[in-house]
Amino acid sequence: QALRQISQRTISTASRRQFANRVPENQKLFQEDNGLPVHLKGGAKDSLLYRTTAGLTVCGTIYAFYYLLVSSMPKKPN
Amino acid sequence: MTHQAHSYHMVDPSPWPILGAAAALLTTSGLAMWFHYNSPYLLIMGLLSTALVMLQWWRDIVRESTFQGHHTPTVQKGLRYGMVLFITSEAFFFLGFFWAFFHSSLAPTPELGGQWPPTGIQPLDPMDVPLLNTAILLASGVTVTWAHHSIMEANRKQAIHALTLTVLLGFYFTALQAMEYYEAPFSISDGVYGSTFFVSTGFHGLHVIIGSTFLLVCLLRLIKYHFTPNHHFGFEAAAWYWHFVDVVWLFLYVTIYWWGS
Repeated sequence: QALRQISQRTISTASRRQFANRVPENQKLFQEDNGLPVHLKGGAKDSLLYRTTAGLTVCGTIYAFYYLLVSSMPKKPN
Repeated sequence: MTHQAHSYHMVDPSPWPILGAAAALLTTSGLAMWFHYNSPYLLIMGLLSTALVMLQWWRDIVRESTFQGHHTPTVQKGLRYGMVLFITSEAFFFLGFFWAFFHSSLAPTPELGGQWPPTGIQPLDPMDVPLLNTAILLASGVTVTWAHHSIMEANRKQAIHALTLTVLLGFYFTALQAMEYYEAPFSISDGVYGSTFFVSTGFHGLHVIIGSTFLLVCLLRLIKYHFTPNHHFGFEAAAWYWHFVDVVWLFLYVTIYWWGS
């Protein structure tokens, strides 16, 4: 409770804005009744990061299976 | 709107478990490609995807707890059990390497010159940098406890100072160990002495880096007001892990560095 009281004191200088307590704003954002799953609930940045991760992983998996097949085949000597 | 009649957390469907498994596949097969075919691309993709999955999975847990309030006391109890079991499994992991060390050092073979340290090996002076490293980790144990008490007493400024000091001490340890590794007169391929020394201290060093990173994330969350005096399990988990890393070092220091020299 004491921590919350300290965080609600008015911040005067602009540079101190970065240390303001943003938890209540985030609580509102992530509790919005919009049906979004938590990994996408933060907005467009979430989708971008998700698609990048999934894309990289899926491509990598295809690459891995391809080289697995290639390395399983005997090489014909010339 | 339906409400659950229990205090457990039924998580939203998430892609991270399967993507994490795939990332592990890429990392391991990437290692094989790098070792045997001299191609690092798959390994890089694996490490990158692993890092991305970890970042987003843990980000989601912070959202579920701090922002959505899903971490009831019941859920927290489960997390505590989980962390204890994980640290226990890590303890067994290190036990294996200590076993290997004692297997070779308690009855040194004729090939080693019938002695430990083996003939030709110049061990590091345990009273030099290793002793400093011991002091650093012990001090960091004190600072992390100070940080914990500060959090519980709602003393924000002291908590931030203490946790910052802890993280800095952790990085200082890593820097000193890196220098020691570079300057050491023996390498990992110098017989069983080199193997046991570098594998044991190497895995320990990796755990110091992991622990320092966990503490750094806690520091950032502390600054962003995520922790309350009564609910700060993420910090407690990091502190437990850090104490574990400290204890492993004490065992390493006494057995490998001191007794083994």
